[in-house]
Amino acid sequence: MSVENIKYQAIDMQKINAAEDDDLFYFVDNNTLESEKITAPRYSYWRSVFRTFFKKKINYFILGFLALILLLTLIYPIFAHYNEFENVAQGVTYNMSPSAALDYFGFSFKYILGTGKNGNAIFDGIWAGALTSLSLAIVCAAINMILGIVIGAIWGYNSKIDTVLTVIYNIIANVPWILLISVLVYIIGGGFIQFVFALTVTGWLGIAFFFRTQVMIIRDREYNMASRCLGTPMIKVVQHNVLPFMTSVIVTILATELPSYISAEVFLSYIGIGLSSEIPSLGRMIQNAQDAFIQFPWAFWGPVAVSAAITIILYVLGQNLADASDPRTHMQ
Amino acid sequence: MKLYWLKRILFSIFSLVVVLITVTFLIYNLMDRSAILTGDAVYNKRRYNEQTMRAYELYEEYGYLTYQDFNFYLQNKYEPIYGPDYAKSDEFVAAEDALFNNVGTNYKKNPDVAAFISQYEGYGHQIVFLPKVTNKSGGVLSMPKLLAVNELNVFQRIGSFFANFIRFETIWDVQDDRLTDRGIHIEWDPRSNMPALIGNGTTHKYLVYFDGNFPFVHQNIVHINLGKSSKGSSKGIDTVDYMMLRTGSPYSTEQEYPKDLGTGVTHPSTLDFHTATYSTADYDPSVFNDHYSSVREQQGGLTRIGNSFVIGIISTIAAYIIGLPIGLWMALKKDKLVDKIGNAYIIFIMAVPRLAYIFMFATIGTTLFNLPFKFVFAENSVLPYILPTVSLGLPAAGGLMKWMRRYMIDQQNSDYVKFARSQGLSEGEIFSKHISRNALIFLVHGIPGNILVSLVGAIITERVYGVPGIGNMLTESITAFNNGMIIGVTVFYTALSIISMILGDALLAKYDPRVSLSGQRG
Repeated sequence: MSVENIKYQAIDMQKINAAEDDDLFYFVDNNTLESEKITAPRYSYWRSVFRTFFKKKINYFILGFLALILLLTLIYPIFAHYNEFENVAQGVTYNMSPSAALDYFGFSFKYILGTGKNGNAIFDGIWAGALTSLSLAIVCAAINMILGIVIGAIWGYNSKIDTVLTVIYNIIANVPWILLISVLVYIIGGGFIQFVFALTVTGWLGIAFFFRTQVMIIRDREYNMASRCLGTPMIKVVQHNVLPFMTSVIVTILATELPSYISAEVFLSYIGIGLSSEIPSLGRMIQNAQDAFIQFPWAFWGPVAVSAAITIILYVLGQNLADASDPRTHMQ
Repeated sequence: MKLYWLKRILFSIFSLVVVLITVTFLIYNLMDRSAILTGDAVYNKRRYNEQTMRAYELYEEYGYLTYQDFNFYLQNKYEPIYGPDYAKSDEFVAAEDALFNNVGTNYKKNPDVAAFISQYEGYGHQIVFLPKVTNKSGGVLSMPKLLAVNELNVFQRIGSFFANFIRFETIWDVQDDRLTDRGIHIEWDPRSNMPALIGNGTTHKYLVYFDGNFPFVHQNIVHINLGKSSKGSSKGIDTVDYMMLRTGSPYSTEQEYPKDLGTGVTHPSTLDFHTATYSTADYDPSVFNDHYSSVREQQGGLTRIGNSFVIGIISTIAAYIIGLPIGLWMALKKDKLVDKIGNAYIIFIMAVPRLAYIFMFATIGTTLFNLPFKFVFAENSVLPYILPTVSLGLPAAGGLMKWMRRYMIDQQNSDYVKFARSQGLSEGEIFSKHISRNALIFLVHGIPGNILVSLVGAIITERVYGVPGIGNMLTESITAFNNGMIIGVTVFYTALSIISMILGDALLAKYDPRVSLSGQRG
């Protein structure tokens, strides 16, 4: 019963004090079942997450932007059928500025960003490349996150595995990541599958280590110790007490992981060991255009801007979602 | 505590060995080595046995195998006996004919062939016989070849890597009968007006010497060998030597030739006579007075390591100077305009591909400030260093801003700060006496790591600006299939990373009394 209700009752009482008191009151049984109930507002975790998330107006804007980019990356290439060597026979079409390309081909979205050094349409190439980058990021993130979280959770709980995995982690962590994937891609070649392999073969280890530390922190909290002392099975403790706490940790990792794969592809293609030439990719477009990026800026800044836009959107969205998924923010 | 560091160092060496074994194994065993052949113009032009021979030449060049050609074996065997006309000797002709007229395996009946095969099979080498190739009318398209091929395995490679890891120069290095008075002595060096340690019989003439170039004292006694470059213009050069080579253009100074040393007669010369190594070839008596006549040119500019370290360290210092105050300012003005701008910058640095913002910095620098984009070997000029340093320093500053802001906000709400505030301490006192001391510990801990981050980040930055540094060496060697150098650079970076982690922890243990690394409560 809230304070205001009590206040109104008190006013009512004064009004009808003169009336017959006996009619107004009746005895209530001492109900043990009712007294055990705790009255609290209904709390649904995911509903609270989304309520907190959409409280920030900027998130609508970011989601709209993401929807636009997804539409362009997922739908547009189906209609565009990007072919890098489409105009390769016509030398005049090489390195055309946007206005020159629109004059030459007539107005179409395809040539709105000009052409590259093979007469390729930059706009089409960007979205074909973005599709590759996004799918690469999603596949790698899925593999690394699942492996990392499952192994990290076991790692945090099992002291036998802990010693072995810590040694492996300490060895791998000594090698700078960018060096490791460069050497791996150099060795196994630049197909899509090979690329995924290079990015995931040790990528999960860092996630698992981070997750293990988080699990260990939560695991040793007093309420979990108490729960274990009372004989709750391990799996139930993990499921009900540890994993819900981890949701925001997982989303935070995801927010930094997704952009990092896109960056890695861009970098590897730039140094010339990226995805093979049949696969359109943002990194290779940047690499093709970087020699003359002052002379033909449109071929360079288009793919750079799109890769930057995708990574920023994924990062900010992930961070905001991570903030919203932290239960401590739900009470504000 | 000592035991802890001993364990730590042993583990570091162990992990370095594991990394080395893994990388060597991956590069030499899993990589499709035929990729080397498809890119080689000579290989594509040649046909038949000559093409196969080219493949073996390339594999040897890239360090996959060594091979011995039977013709070379014959030459070594008969040249000392018959002199320059050895190819006309009966034995030589008989052996060649045995290969040329071979049917089935009867070439093995020739005594020289049999001796060759038994000798190299004894070493565990594989014998490869390529019979002659003829066209339909019997014309010979390609001559026969007999080879003994030694495929190197991982353990041989690792073994030789560690066997040659540290090399000491001794007075028995030079193998030349003309050299009589081997020894080491201290001599007054008129070039530097300082004493120098001079060896006779050692590879280098000057073992310890002084000169005007950083670090002023130079030694040639101990050499660390990370393997040789296996390809390109740098072929055969030690990875470490390559890192230590100056990258500027040669310059000429007035110098005394070794012949006239101490007489005061000078000549303009680009040679650096302190780098003299022994050469068995005849020397030019107008310049030199002994066989220590193989010298390098004196070059301007910094070494590859120097370039990377100058850029790495200056950018780290700049990052601290910029990042920390701004982070602090953001924390004090939480949710105000400064904080929002700062956060936008942090998000930009964390999310955008590094390559993209390096190019953005480059465009701004070249168009607004007229800075040179590609690193040119301009001695005595700091301009080419500015853009790479900025491109490394600004992102690092973003990381530090993020960390400092988070740390300050957390600390301001911590119990000990609330307590200090409730006791009536001013905000300034709280910051200088309480928060800053705690923050300093973590700052110190992060310094070696941050320098490492700059050096690793330099892999991309140096590539974009074409800086001749270590980071660029890695990407260069990857695109040129230079296996020897990839392994060398990997080991270098891994060692650097291990050292920086150990240094960071040592600093933490030294400055933070709460941290006990050995796990014992002290």
